[in-house]
Amino acid sequence: MANTELIEKINRKLSEEFETDIELIRPDAPLMQTLELDSLDLVDMVVLVEQHFGLTLKAQDFASIKTFQDFYDFIDSHVNDAN
Amino acid sequence: MMKYALVTGGSRGIGRAICIKLAGMGYHVLINYRHNDAEALATLQAVREKGADGELMKCDVTDGAAVSEMLSAWMQSHPDGYIEVLVNNAGIRKDNLMLWMTGEEWAHVLDTGLNGFFHVTQPLLKNMLARRFGRIITIVSLSGIKGLPGQTNYSAAKGGLIAATKALAQETAKRRVTVNAVAPGFIHTDMTGQLDEDELKRLIPAGRFGEPEEVAGLVGFLASPEASYITGEVISINGGLYT
Repeated sequence: MANTELIEKINRKLSEEFETDIELIRPDAPLMQTLELDSLDLVDMVVLVEQHFGLTLKAQDFASIKTFQDFYDFIDSHVNDAN
Repeated sequence: MMKYALVTGGSRGIGRAICIKLAGMGYHVLINYRHNDAEALATLQAVREKGADGELMKCDVTDGAAVSEMLSAWMQSHPDGYIEVLVNNAGIRKDNLMLWMTGEEWAHVLDTGLNGFFHVTQPLLKNMLARRFGRIITIVSLSGIKGLPGQTNYSAAKGGLIAATKALAQETAKRRVTVNAVAPGFIHTDMTGQLDEDELKRLIPAGRFGEPEEVAGLVGFLASPEASYITGEVISINGGLYT
């Protein structure tokens, strides 16, 4: 489970990058719809994750990421892997 | 901030003229070529005479692993810069009527033209998208638009590049990365040296072959900020031969 500090950092970065009200970012909310992303926008997500979390997202990674909680868990587990 | 441009097949002909044009626009030019060291050095010299600089990047674009290694090494040694202009110019011809065309003639032309485009463009795309500026210009051919007899392989490669250009342009337009193709007709280069110019130029409304510098001028325009709203286009430069 991702810790509060990591979740806050993720929320802040997503809110800034995709100009989304941070209040709308909730664990069970759907990631793509909330951030108003289409498949072509995923490149921005790839760049954001690479810049701020040092991970390279692949297309297949997105298959299992539906909600913000999925996203937190993905980042958390891979950041831990990287460490 | 140094601006970088990469031209594949940059040692001779249209590729060389493009290198010189981009140098004149202030780009540091990365000159990719396959085997002709002397010609590549002559291109580098011409780039330097424009008051710019460049470097040679010897690599066969059909070799995906080698291209990936070359570009990764360049990106690691230039963490603050990125290649903002890519000109996919590498291409070969192995003309034959389909009746006698060998599998090798088919595959080699497709490999250089079409697979080479993928090998070079794919690794450079992310930085262009992330930096919100990029120019991808691919040199295709009248052969890829009209189809020319004796060139089913070359026409297929260039036609494929045209389709790839149109598709990729739609993927990247929002991030100010334009993707266009330039389709020369008959241009004075080594590649057209064997053709019967007197016979052919009677078919060309302009009454002459084009010069590499004329193609380079169009490429330079497409690379410039003035061309920022042009994407997914195939622009012919052929003296009116075919539109």
